Amino acid sequence: MIRRRRGRRASIDSRGRRPAAEGVGMRSSWTWRVMLAVMLIMPLAGACKKKGPKPGEAGAGAAGAGLGEEGLAAGGSSLERSKRGLAPEEDGILGDVHFAYDSYEIDGAGRDVLARNIDWLRSNGRAKVELEGHADSRGTIEYNLALGAKRAKAVKDYLVGQGVAANRLSTISYGKELPLCHEENDTCWARNRRVHAVILGQ
Amino acid sequence: MRIQMRIRVVVAAALWYATSAGAAVTGEIFGPGSESFPIAVVPLKNLSGDTGNALGNRFAEVLSRDLDLSGYFRLLDPKTFIENPQTSGITASDIDFVGWSSLGAQALVKGGVTVAGDGVTVEVRLFDVPGRQDVPQASKRYTGPRAELPRMAHKTADAILEYLTGERGPFDSAIALVSKRNGPLKDVYRLTFDMDEPTRLTDERSLVVNPRWRPDGRGVLFTSYRQHFQHLFQIELPGRQVTRIGGGSVTLDGAWSPDGKTLLVTRDEGGNSNIYLVDPAGQVLKRLTDHWAIDVAPAWAPDGRRFAFCSSRAGSPQIYVMGVDGGGVTRISQTGNYNTSPAWSPKGDRLAWATRAGGGFQVVVAGADGSRAQVITNAGSNENPSWAPDGRYLVFSSTRAGRSHIFMADRDGKTQKQLTRGAADDTSPAWSPRLD
Repeated sequence: MIRRRRGRRASIDSRGRRPAAEGVGMRSSWTWRVMLAVMLIMPLAGACKKKGPKPGEAGAGAAGAGLGEEGLAAGGSSLERSKRGLAPEEDGILGDVHFAYDSYEIDGAGRDVLARNIDWLRSNGRAKVELEGHADSRGTIEYNLALGAKRAKAVKDYLVGQGVAANRLSTISYGKELPLCHEENDTCWARNRRVHAVILGQ
Repeated sequence: MRIQMRIRVVVAAALWYATSAGAAVTGEIFGPGSESFPIAVVPLKNLSGDTGNALGNRFAEVLSRDLDLSGYFRLLDPKTFIENPQTSGITASDIDFVGWSSLGAQALVKGGVTVAGDGVTVEVRLFDVPGRQDVPQASKRYTGPRAELPRMAHKTADAILEYLTGERGPFDSAIALVSKRNGPLKDVYRLTFDMDEPTRLTDERSLVVNPRWRPDGRGVLFTSYRQHFQHLFQIELPGRQVTRIGGGSVTLDGAWSPDGKTLLVTRDEGGNSNIYLVDPAGQVLKRLTDHWAIDVAPAWAPDGRRFAFCSSRAGSPQIYVMGVDGGGVTRISQTGNYNTSPAWSPKGDRLAWATRAGGGFQVVVAGADGSRAQVITNAGSNENPSWAPDGRYLVFSSTRAGRSHIFMADRDGKTQKQLTRGAADDTSPAWSPRLD
């Protein structure tokens, strides 16, 4: 699973984004990204301190933004990004959890991702997160909306079970409406079956 | 073989109806997809004020398109017409039936148009060519504003179909759909059968899903993310005022009851979707499903007492029917491991849904109890079937021509016609009730 995820990151590199150092494991790459994120978000945090932006409002995107990768604003909900003409974000400060076809069961690889996400949530105790459930194109629109909601709930339940306060986590489903990729093959479908975590404010 | 027998019964019924009313079109009309009944549609004669014959030509164009979409007809090429539409007569005594017969026409449509200011009067007649007479049951006179001319043509097509097949046609209606024609985000659009491209109804510039008509045809429900989470909204036509239905509950879809007094909605409660009966303000009258599995996509039976829905309670998405009183849950889909998007025929006798097969979805039409299920599509992925008000045709989205477009087919899948084109993704079509 980790090997596959690395492969994906490599393909992001080939599109000119910041490459992760060769040989650096997921864990250290992760820590490095978190440090960078915290550094960049710090100045914003002050502005957002008094009143965190509500989900969906412009501020929600802005708060998550800041992890600038060659000027491309990172973060923001998939819908807010779409409104700004940006593709949905893959991973982010918090990693995406992937699912099997028509399933909302979190597997071992998903628990590994969530273990790292929980570390970040513990060290960023004020951060609120929206969990976006997504589905691949191989379901119908309305069923996938319900399936995405199940996936987001499964992740929320898992995080709450691990001690993350429920009031820090909201869920939303985009079904198959905002896919990461549009090809009809196993690799693309697997990427689109995910829960993506958006940091709303800290 | 069974198809042919059914069609012959229809023909017999139509002929009986016609004979009993004192007139008949000679010849046999076969089902949708046969495209076999030869008919000539002549531009309307300018009786007064139709500058450049624009309206007379437009009427013939819209009527011809409807007749072609029905799948019953072979439309004769206007280039071969022997009579000049603007100089020849429009009553039986003036028509060269022998000439039309030699062109192969079984039926002929002629008429006249009078324009005065914004007002238009259309007189249109169906003629039985071998019988050398007009058919009063399918001959009409309409008066209205100029903008109503396409509807006059649709009503004429519907009346011709009623006369020849015993079932009024479905073309005086509209289709609501979701499209990305205006950029990466989605809105609800409206398409009528005289339009090449749908026009935008909503201004959500967000994600919208699942448009559904109110039974009066003057309102469309849809789900929008305009307030971040999914809520149910309704747009009034033609005024386009949008109101939210219900409070802040996350709502995936909604459908008006046939009497327009209640709605079935799917609410998501933190990751568990269930179906509720609510009043027009969105207040819960009854919770109808209470299951950890996915329950979604309620579709009313026309009797208003039952509904079909999709549930994953047996481990995979399947079609079920239950009473609006909360009782009698029955599984309908018996084959396939992924069946969703049920739609109940307006006559109550059939259900359509989408079934996963091979690499995509196909449209299934079955009896209301799930019997005699047959797949009516085979190319591309075909989703979200919606019935025409006559219960004879359906619309659905299909990727058979590349991107997702709206297609229509008859319920046996014999005729398949593309309704939208272009680079936009058109999805989730909903066929309106009859407009009057």
